[in-house]
Amino acid sequence: MNGSADSDAGVEHGGRLMAFTDAVMGDDPETLERAREALRAVLPPESFVDAAATIAAFNVVDRIADATGIPLDPMLEGMSAEVRRELELARFASSANTPGAS
Amino acid sequence: MTDFDYSPAGVEVREDLRDAHRRLWEHVRSPGTWWTGTQRVAIAAEARAAVNCSLCGERQQALSADAVRGEHDSAASLPETTVEAIHRIRTDPARLSRRWFDGVIAGGLAETAYVELVGVVTLVTGLDYFARSLGLRPFPLPEPLPGEPSRHRPESAKPGTAWVPMIAPEDAVGAEADLYPDSPFIPNIMRALSLVPEEARALRNSSDAHYVRVPEIGDPSVRRSLDRMQMELVAARVSALNECFY
Repeated sequence: MNGSADSDAGVEHGGRLMAFTDAVMGDDPETLERAREALRAVLPPESFVDAAATIAAFNVVDRIADATGIPLDPMLEGMSAEVRRELELARFASSANTPGAS
Repeated sequence: MTDFDYSPAGVEVREDLRDAHRRLWEHVRSPGTWWTGTQRVAIAAEARAAVNCSLCGERQQALSADAVRGEHDSAASLPETTVEAIHRIRTDPARLSRRWFDGVIAGGLAETAYVELVGVVTLVTGLDYFARSLGLRPFPLPEPLPGEPSRHRPESAKPGTAWVPMIAPEDAVGAEADLYPDSPFIPNIMRALSLVPEEARALRNSSDAHYVRVPEIGDPSVRRSLDRMQMELVAARVSALNECFY
């Protein structure tokens, strides 16, 4: 995703959710602490846990997809074709697992 | 079963997630299909060691991972090819290729053992990210259970569009009849580990608790405390940062 973590991307608290996600995936403990505090300041605890769970889930999914070479499902490919082109996701090496995808 | 302590995070973790974590640790420490419980816990330890591996760090900075040679900083006494697979899946998944996979298999790791390894490495990685998100240290790895691997290779797993054989939904019968949910759409990600059905079941258990159940993936009205747009924003951000096309 090319969007900035400074904007909400049309999603409630989207900027803080993206900043938190970036920080969890990054390697700076102080940035992570600040992003976590900022998110917890606006989300109820159970929503914060859901954000953590989603980050966990997609770190699993992404690695399994890349390690097994599965192609993108035709139905999902059709649903997301426009977004994929807009975000230029075909630049990722793993797009090679989905012949003809753009 | 292991009881996880989330209290330092100062938040209540819902019961289905707590249960998923307990079941995951029980799964990791139990004898698997191709690895013993001791080997599976060693694989989990190696997945964590990869995060601080010097070679992996150098490779991540290089234009091509293959251009950097050396030895991994290894935590356990696993074969070199196994360590290479674990470290690359944990630290550099975006640049895995069919050529790399073929090299791992040619190096002596059977497809079946590889798929089981993928299950253990990725599920432990997910739990580590959950702990990190909450501000917790990684949960201590469980003690392995004794016993021998089952060595069950489902006959219905067939080569196809992925690097590894998979079971098609229509072929999930007999011992594998419970493998997929009753849904018209079973995404490839839920089939990816089906060469080792126990790993596919573990993925489904984990995914159901951390994200949404498979039959609900296509329904935007299904949500948790976060609404679905918020969940999908986080999911897309993770996948973009992981450079995952899928």
